Amino acid sequence: MTDGDLVQAGYQIPGPQTTNLADILERVLDKGIVIAGDIKIDLLDIELLTIRLRLFVASVDTAKKAGIDWWETDPALSSHAARNALQDENRELRERLEAYESKADELPVGQDAAATH
Amino acid sequence: MKESGADSPDGHAVYVFAVCGAPVQTAVADLPGVAAGTAVRTLPFGELTAVVQTVRAADFADEAWQARLSDTRELERYARAHHHVVTVAAAACPTVPLPLATLYHDEERALSALSGETGRFRAALARTADHSEWGVKVYAAERPPQDAERPVAEVGTAPRGPAEPAGRTRPAPGAGLAYLDRKRGVRARREQQQEEALRMAETVDAEFQRVAAAARRLRPHSPELAGDPRVQVLNATYLVADRRSGELETLTRMLQDSTGAQIELSGPWVPYSFVGEV
Repeated sequence: MTDGDLVQAGYQIPGPQTTNLADILERVLDKGIVIAGDIKIDLLDIELLTIRLRLFVASVDTAKKAGIDWWETDPALSSHAARNALQDENRELRERLEAYESKADELPVGQDAAATH
Repeated sequence: MKESGADSPDGHAVYVFAVCGAPVQTAVADLPGVAAGTAVRTLPFGELTAVVQTVRAADFADEAWQARLSDTRELERYARAHHHVVTVAAAACPTVPLPLATLYHDEERALSALSGETGRFRAALARTADHSEWGVKVYAAERPPQDAERPVAEVGTAPRGPAEPAGRTRPAPGAGLAYLDRKRGVRARREQQQEEALRMAETVDAEFQRVAAAARRLRPHSPELAGDPRVQVLNATYLVADRRSGELETLTRMLQDSTGAQIELSGPWVPYSFVGEV
Protein backbone atom coordinates (compact mmCIF):
# COMPACT_ATOMS: atom_id res chain seq x y z
CA MET A 1 0.00 0.00 0.00
CA THR A 2 1.18 3.50 -0.68
CA ASP A 3 0.89 6.13 1.98
CA GLY A 4 -0.65 8.71 -0.33
CA ASP A 5 -3.76 6.71 -0.99
CA LEU A 6 -4.98 6.83 2.56
CA VAL A 7 -3.85 10.36 3.22
CA GLN A 8 -5.45 11.79 0.12
CA ALA A 9 -8.71 10.07 0.79
CA GLY A 10 -9.36 12.97 3.20
CA TYR A 11 -11.92 11.21 5.27
CA GLN A 12 -15.19 12.99 5.62
CA ILE A 13 -16.54 10.64 8.18
CA PRO A 14 -20.21 10.85 8.90
CA GLY A 15 -21.14 10.57 12.54
CA PRO A 16 -20.16 12.40 15.67
CA GLN A 17 -18.66 15.85 15.43
CA THR A 18 -15.92 15.25 17.92
CA THR A 19 -14.11 12.42 16.24
CA ASN A 20 -10.79 13.11 17.86
CA LEU A 21 -8.13 10.44 17.68
CA ALA A 22 -8.43 9.42 21.31
CA ASP A 23 -12.17 8.86 20.98
CA ILE A 24 -11.70 6.69 17.92
CA LEU A 25 -8.73 4.76 19.29
CA GLU A 26 -10.40 3.76 22.49
CA ARG A 27 -13.27 2.35 20.47
CA VAL A 28 -11.55 0.65 17.53
CA LEU A 29 -8.72 -0.78 19.61
CA ASP A 30 -10.42 -1.60 22.82
CA LYS A 31 -14.04 -2.29 21.94
CA GLY A 32 -16.03 -4.03 19.22
CA ILE A 33 -16.84 -7.73 19.25
CA VAL A 34 -13.63 -9.71 19.40
CA ILE A 35 -13.38 -12.86 17.32
CA ALA A 36 -10.28 -14.93 16.75
CA GLY A 37 -8.47 -14.14 13.52
CA ASP A 38 -6.04 -16.30 11.56
CA ILE A 39 -3.30 -13.75 11.72
CA LYS A 40 -2.41 -12.96 15.25
CA ILE A 41 -1.88 -9.30 15.81
CA ASP A 42 -1.01 -8.05 19.21
CA LEU A 43 -2.90 -4.81 19.56
CA LEU A 44 -1.47 -3.26 22.63
CA ASP A 45 -3.68 -2.56 25.53
CA ILE A 46 -5.05 0.94 25.10
CA GLU A 47 -3.38 2.06 28.31
CA LEU A 48 0.03 0.96 27.13
CA LEU A 49 -0.64 2.55 23.82
CA THR A 50 -1.61 5.89 25.25
CA ILE A 51 1.59 5.92 27.28
CA ARG A 52 3.52 5.24 24.13
CA LEU A 53 1.53 7.79 22.17
CA ARG A 54 2.14 10.41 24.78
CA LEU A 55 5.85 10.11 24.07
CA PHE A 56 5.20 10.77 20.41
CA VAL A 57 2.31 13.16 20.45
CA ALA A 58 3.71 15.61 22.91
CA SER A 59 7.37 15.91 23.48
CA VAL A 60 7.87 17.84 26.66
CA ASP A 61 8.72 20.99 24.76
CA THR A 62 5.65 20.85 22.59
CA ALA A 63 3.50 20.33 25.62
CA LYS A 64 5.06 23.27 27.41
CA LYS A 65 4.74 25.54 24.41
CA ALA A 66 1.12 24.65 24.14
CA GLY A 67 0.78 25.35 27.85
CA ILE A 68 -0.85 22.01 28.46
CA ASP A 69 1.21 20.96 31.43
CA TRP A 70 -0.40 23.21 34.00
CA TRP A 71 -2.03 20.27 35.70
CA GLU A 72 1.33 18.61 36.28
CA THR A 73 3.17 21.66 37.53
CA ASP A 74 0.47 23.09 39.72
CA PRO A 75 1.30 21.99 43.28
CA ALA A 76 -2.33 22.52 44.21
CA LEU A 77 -3.28 19.73 41.87
CA SER A 78 -0.26 17.54 41.42
CA SER A 79 1.71 15.75 44.09
CA HIS A 80 4.56 15.57 41.57
CA ALA A 81 4.86 19.34 41.47
CA ALA A 82 4.63 19.49 45.25
CA ARG A 83 7.54 17.09 45.40
CA ASN A 84 9.51 19.34 43.08
CA ALA A 85 8.94 22.27 45.41
CA LEU A 86 10.22 20.19 48.30
CA GLN A 87 13.27 19.13 46.31
CA ASP A 88 14.03 22.76 45.53
CA GLU A 89 13.87 23.60 49.22
CA ASN A 90 16.12 20.66 50.07
CA ARG A 91 18.67 21.66 47.48
CA GLU A 92 18.81 25.18 48.82
CA LEU A 93 19.33 23.94 52.34
CA ARG A 94 22.10 21.61 51.21
CA GLU A 95 23.82 24.43 49.36
CA ARG A 96 23.63 26.63 52.40
CA LEU A 97 25.04 23.88 54.58
CA GLU A 98 27.92 23.32 52.17
CA ALA A 99 28.70 27.02 52.21
CA TYR A 100 28.86 26.99 56.02
CA GLU A 101 31.00 23.87 56.07
CA SER A 102 33.50 25.18 53.57
CA LYS A 103 33.77 28.37 55.62
CA ALA A 104 34.38 26.36 58.77
CA ASP A 105 37.07 24.36 56.97
CA GLU A 106 38.82 27.49 55.85
CA LEU A 107 39.14 28.99 59.32
CA PRO A 108 42.02 26.99 60.83
CA VAL A 109 44.09 26.50 57.66
CA GLY A 110 43.03 29.50 55.67
CA GLN A 111 44.68 32.20 57.80
CA ASP A 112 47.41 32.84 55.26
CA ALA A 113 44.87 33.48 52.60
CA ALA A 114 42.96 35.81 54.93
CA ALA A 115 46.21 37.61 55.90
CA THR A 116 47.03 38.51 52.32
CA HIS A 117 44.09 40.92 52.35
CA MET B 1 -7.14 -25.76 9.36
CA LYS B 2 -4.16 -23.96 7.96
CA GLU B 3 -1.17 -23.21 9.98
CA SER B 4 -1.64 -20.03 11.94
CA GLY B 5 0.67 -17.12 11.25
CA ALA B 6 1.68 -18.30 7.77
CA ASP B 7 0.79 -16.15 4.79
CA SER B 8 -1.69 -17.51 2.31
CA PRO B 9 -0.09 -18.72 -0.95
CA ASP B 10 -1.00 -15.57 -2.91
CA GLY B 11 0.21 -13.24 -0.17
CA HIS B 12 -3.22 -11.87 0.55
CA ALA B 13 -5.39 -11.76 3.61
CA VAL B 14 -8.98 -10.83 4.33
CA TYR B 15 -9.56 -7.93 6.69
CA VAL B 16 -12.96 -7.86 8.41
CA PHE B 17 -14.36 -4.49 9.49
CA ALA B 18 -17.81 -5.35 10.75
CA VAL B 19 -20.80 -7.64 10.55
CA CYS B 20 -24.15 -6.27 9.43
CA GLY B 21 -27.67 -7.54 9.92
CA ALA B 22 -28.50 -6.92 6.24
CA PRO B 23 -26.70 -6.48 2.90
CA VAL B 24 -24.86 -3.14 2.54
CA GLN B 25 -23.11 -3.56 -0.81
CA THR B 26 -23.59 -0.11 -2.33
CA ALA B 27 -22.85 1.87 0.80
CA VAL B 28 -19.33 0.57 1.37
CA ALA B 29 -18.17 -0.17 -2.19
CA ASP B 30 -16.56 3.24 -2.78
CA LEU B 31 -14.65 3.47 0.46
CA PRO B 32 -10.85 3.30 0.47
CA GLY B 33 -10.77 1.03 3.51
CA VAL B 34 -7.34 0.08 4.84
CA ALA B 35 -5.65 -0.90 1.58
CA ALA B 36 -5.10 0.73 -1.76
CA GLY B 37 -6.17 -0.98 -4.95
CA THR B 38 -8.82 -3.32 -3.59
CA ALA B 39 -12.46 -2.54 -2.94
CA VAL B 40 -14.26 -2.83 0.34
CA ARG B 41 -16.90 -5.47 -0.27
CA THR B 42 -19.48 -7.59 1.46
CA LEU B 43 -19.34 -11.24 2.30
CA PRO B 44 -22.74 -12.76 3.13
CA PHE B 45 -22.93 -15.65 5.59
CA GLY B 46 -26.37 -16.92 6.51
CA GLU B 47 -28.57 -13.93 7.16
CA LEU B 48 -25.65 -11.76 8.17
CA THR B 49 -23.14 -9.90 6.02
CA ALA B 50 -19.50 -9.19 6.78
CA VAL B 51 -17.81 -6.06 5.45
CA VAL B 52 -14.34 -7.05 4.30
CA GLN B 53 -11.38 -6.05 2.16
CA THR B 54 -8.60 -8.08 0.60
CA VAL B 55 -5.24 -6.74 1.76
CA ARG B 56 -1.60 -7.71 1.33
CA ALA B 57 -0.75 -10.08 4.13
CA ALA B 58 2.70 -8.53 4.52
CA ASP B 59 1.12 -5.17 5.37
CA PHE B 60 -0.71 -6.77 8.24
CA ALA B 61 1.92 -9.00 9.72
CA ASP B 62 2.52 -8.51 13.41
CA GLU B 63 5.82 -6.66 12.83
CA ALA B 64 4.11 -4.21 10.47
CA TRP B 65 1.53 -3.53 13.14
CA GLN B 66 4.02 -3.03 15.92
CA ALA B 67 5.71 -0.40 13.75
CA ARG B 68 2.35 1.18 13.04
CA LEU B 69 1.38 1.30 16.69
CA SER B 70 4.53 3.27 17.38
CA ASP B 71 3.78 5.86 14.73
CA THR B 72 0.94 8.16 15.65
CA ARG B 73 0.16 9.24 12.11
CA GLU B 74 0.10 5.72 10.76
CA LEU B 75 -2.03 4.53 13.62
CA GLU B 76 -4.41 7.42 13.15
CA ARG B 77 -4.80 6.71 9.45
CA TYR B 78 -5.65 3.08 10.01
CA ALA B 79 -7.91 3.78 12.95
CA ARG B 80 -9.83 6.41 11.01
CA ALA B 81 -10.02 4.22 7.89
CA HIS B 82 -11.44 1.36 9.94
CA HIS B 83 -13.84 3.66 11.72
CA HIS B 84 -14.95 5.19 8.43
CA VAL B 85 -15.98 1.84 6.96
CA VAL B 86 -17.75 0.83 10.16
CA THR B 87 -19.64 4.12 10.34
CA VAL B 88 -20.77 4.04 6.72
CA ALA B 89 -21.93 0.43 7.06
CA ALA B 90 -23.79 1.29 10.24
CA ALA B 91 -25.61 4.12 8.51
CA ALA B 92 -26.99 1.57 6.04
CA CYS B 93 -27.94 -1.22 8.42
CA PRO B 94 -27.55 -2.48 12.00
CA THR B 95 -23.86 -3.16 12.44
CA VAL B 96 -21.57 -4.91 14.89
CA PRO B 97 -18.06 -3.45 14.63
CA LEU B 98 -14.96 -5.61 14.98
CA PRO B 99 -11.79 -4.18 16.50
CA LEU B 100 -8.98 -2.95 14.30
CA ALA B 101 -7.09 -5.70 12.50
CA THR B 102 -9.14 -8.88 12.48
CA LEU B 103 -7.63 -10.88 9.63
CA TYR B 104 -8.04 -14.25 7.90
CA HIS B 105 -5.87 -16.05 5.38
CA ASP B 106 -8.65 -16.16 2.81
CA GLU B 107 -12.37 -15.76 2.28
CA GLU B 108 -13.10 -19.36 3.11
CA ARG B 109 -11.37 -19.10 6.46
CA ALA B 110 -13.15 -15.84 7.20
CA LEU B 111 -16.56 -17.30 6.37
CA SER B 112 -15.95 -20.34 8.51
CA ALA B 113 -14.82 -18.27 11.52
CA LEU B 114 -17.61 -15.71 11.20
CA SER B 115 -20.30 -18.39 10.77
CA GLY B 116 -19.11 -19.98 13.97
CA GLU B 117 -19.81 -16.72 15.82
CA THR B 118 -23.29 -16.15 14.40
CA GLY B 119 -24.89 -16.48 17.81
CA ARG B 120 -22.73 -13.73 19.30
CA PHE B 121 -23.36 -11.41 16.37
CA ARG B 122 -27.11 -11.92 16.64
CA ALA B 123 -27.08 -11.26 20.35
CA ALA B 124 -25.06 -8.07 19.88
CA LEU B 125 -27.38 -6.89 17.08
CA ALA B 126 -30.41 -7.54 19.27
CA ARG B 127 -28.85 -5.71 22.21
CA THR B 128 -28.00 -2.60 20.19
CA ALA B 129 -30.98 -2.47 17.80
CA ASP B 130 -32.40 1.08 17.57
CA HIS B 131 -29.76 2.29 20.00
CA SER B 132 -26.67 4.42 19.57
CA GLU B 133 -23.62 5.09 21.68
CA TRP B 134 -23.08 8.56 23.10
CA GLY B 135 -19.87 9.70 24.73
CA VAL B 136 -19.88 12.05 27.70
CA LYS B 137 -16.77 13.79 29.00
CA VAL B 138 -16.63 15.98 32.05
CA TYR B 139 -13.76 18.42 32.55
CA ALA B 140 -12.44 19.92 35.73
CA ALA B 141 -12.77 23.67 35.89
CA GLU B 142 -9.64 25.40 34.61
CA ARG B 143 -7.57 27.29 37.13
CA PRO B 144 -6.11 30.73 36.57
CA PRO B 145 -2.36 30.43 35.85
CA GLN B 146 -1.17 32.95 38.46
CA ASP B 147 -2.83 30.89 41.17
CA ALA B 148 -1.11 27.82 39.81
CA GLU B 149 2.36 29.36 40.01
CA ARG B 150 2.15 31.07 43.35
CA PRO B 151 3.15 28.27 45.75
CA VAL B 152 6.25 27.39 43.72
CA ALA B 153 7.36 31.01 43.59
CA GLU B 154 7.12 31.39 47.36
CA VAL B 155 9.26 28.39 47.99
CA GLY B 156 11.92 29.59 45.60
CA THR B 157 12.38 33.15 46.97
CA ALA B 158 15.44 32.47 49.09
CA PRO B 159 18.67 33.47 47.32
CA ARG B 160 20.93 30.62 46.44
CA GLY B 161 24.24 29.84 44.84
CA PRO B 162 27.83 30.06 46.04
CA ALA B 163 28.15 33.65 44.75
CA GLU B 164 26.26 34.85 47.76
CA PRO B 165 27.13 32.54 50.63
CA ALA B 166 24.81 31.99 53.55
CA GLY B 167 25.18 34.37 56.53
CA ARG B 168 22.53 37.03 56.27
CA THR B 169 20.17 34.88 54.18
CA ARG B 170 19.57 32.56 57.10
CA PRO B 171 15.81 31.81 57.28
CA ALA B 172 13.90 33.69 59.95
CA PRO B 173 12.75 31.63 62.93
CA GLY B 174 9.46 29.91 62.14
CA ALA B 175 10.14 29.76 58.42
CA GLY B 176 10.07 25.97 58.51
CA LEU B 177 6.75 25.97 60.29
CA ALA B 178 5.35 28.45 57.80
CA TYR B 179 6.57 26.22 55.02
CA LEU B 180 4.81 23.20 56.51
CA ASP B 181 1.63 25.20 56.98
CA ARG B 182 1.78 26.23 53.37
CA LYS B 183 2.31 22.63 52.32
CA ARG B 184 -0.66 21.55 54.38
CA GLY B 185 -2.83 24.23 52.82
CA VAL B 186 -1.79 23.22 49.34
CA ARG B 187 -2.53 19.61 50.06
CA ALA B 188 -5.91 20.37 51.58
CA ARG B 189 -6.85 22.49 48.56
CA ARG B 190 -5.77 19.76 46.21
CA GLU B 191 -7.78 17.11 48.02
CA GLN B 192 -10.81 19.34 48.15
CA GLN B 193 -10.63 20.05 44.42
CA GLN B 194 -10.24 16.41 43.57
CA GLU B 195 -13.19 15.46 45.74
CA GLU B 196 -15.36 18.13 44.17
CA ALA B 197 -14.39 17.05 40.66
CA LEU B 198 -15.14 13.41 41.42
CA ARG B 199 -18.46 14.26 43.01
CA MET B 200 -19.39 16.27 39.96
CA ALA B 201 -18.43 13.36 37.70
CA GLU B 202 -20.61 10.97 39.72
CA THR B 203 -23.58 13.32 39.48
CA VAL B 204 -23.26 13.62 35.73
CA ASP B 205 -22.83 9.86 35.31
CA ALA B 206 -25.88 9.10 37.43
CA GLU B 207 -28.06 11.48 35.42
CA PHE B 208 -27.01 10.05 32.06
CA GLN B 209 -27.58 6.51 33.33
CA ARG B 210 -31.22 7.39 33.90
CA VAL B 211 -31.63 7.98 30.14
CA ALA B 212 -29.36 5.13 29.01
CA ALA B 213 -29.97 1.43 28.52
CA ALA B 214 -26.36 0.67 29.46
CA ALA B 215 -23.25 2.58 30.52
CA ARG B 216 -19.48 2.11 30.46
CA ARG B 217 -16.66 4.05 32.00
CA LEU B 218 -13.74 4.65 29.69
CA ARG B 219 -10.31 5.81 30.84
CA PRO B 220 -10.04 9.56 30.96
CA HIS B 221 -7.76 10.88 28.23
CA SER B 222 -4.51 12.54 29.11
CA PRO B 223 -4.36 16.16 27.94
CA GLU B 224 -1.51 15.17 25.60
CA LEU B 225 -3.43 12.41 23.89
CA ALA B 226 -6.57 14.45 23.45
CA GLY B 227 -4.65 17.57 22.48
CA ASP B 228 -6.80 19.41 24.97
CA PRO B 229 -5.40 21.20 28.02
CA ARG B 230 -8.44 20.53 30.16
CA VAL B 231 -8.40 17.66 32.60
CA GLN B 232 -11.01 14.97 32.18
CA VAL B 233 -12.64 13.79 35.34
CA LEU B 234 -15.15 11.57 33.58
CA ASN B 235 -15.01 9.75 30.26
CA ALA B 236 -18.10 7.62 30.01
CA THR B 237 -20.19 6.23 27.21
CA TYR B 238 -23.87 5.33 27.12
CA LEU B 239 -26.12 3.16 25.01
CA VAL B 240 -29.19 5.26 24.38
CA ALA B 241 -32.40 4.38 22.52
CA ASP B 242 -32.60 6.45 19.36
CA ARG B 243 -36.03 7.75 20.34
CA ARG B 244 -34.48 9.26 23.48
CA SER B 245 -31.37 10.77 21.92
CA GLY B 246 -33.10 14.15 21.71
CA GLU B 247 -33.04 14.33 25.51
CA LEU B 248 -29.26 14.24 25.70
CA GLU B 249 -28.55 17.80 24.58
CA THR B 250 -31.03 19.15 27.07
CA LEU B 251 -29.63 17.02 29.85
CA THR B 252 -26.10 18.17 29.04
CA ARG B 253 -27.08 21.83 29.23
CA MET B 254 -29.04 21.29 32.42
CA LEU B 255 -26.12 19.52 34.12
CA GLN B 256 -23.68 22.16 32.97
CA ASP B 257 -25.83 24.81 34.58
CA SER B 258 -26.42 22.92 37.81
CA THR B 259 -22.88 21.61 38.41
CA GLY B 260 -20.79 24.28 36.69
CA ALA B 261 -18.88 21.49 34.96
CA GLN B 262 -17.82 21.57 31.34
CA ILE B 263 -19.58 18.63 29.73
CA GLU B 264 -18.98 17.38 26.22
CA LEU B 265 -21.44 15.13 24.45
CA SER B 266 -20.32 13.15 21.39
CA GLY B 267 -22.40 10.94 19.19
CA PRO B 268 -24.17 9.12 17.82
CA TRP B 269 -21.45 6.48 17.63
CA VAL B 270 -21.77 2.98 16.27
CA PRO B 271 -22.17 1.11 19.55
CA TYR B 272 -18.56 -0.10 19.74
CA SER B 273 -18.58 -0.16 23.51
CA PHE B 274 -21.75 -2.24 23.81
CA VAL B 275 -21.38 -5.08 21.32
CA GLY B 276 -18.93 -7.14 23.37
CA GLU B 277 -20.08 -9.43 26.15
CA VAL B 278 -19.75 -7.90 29.55
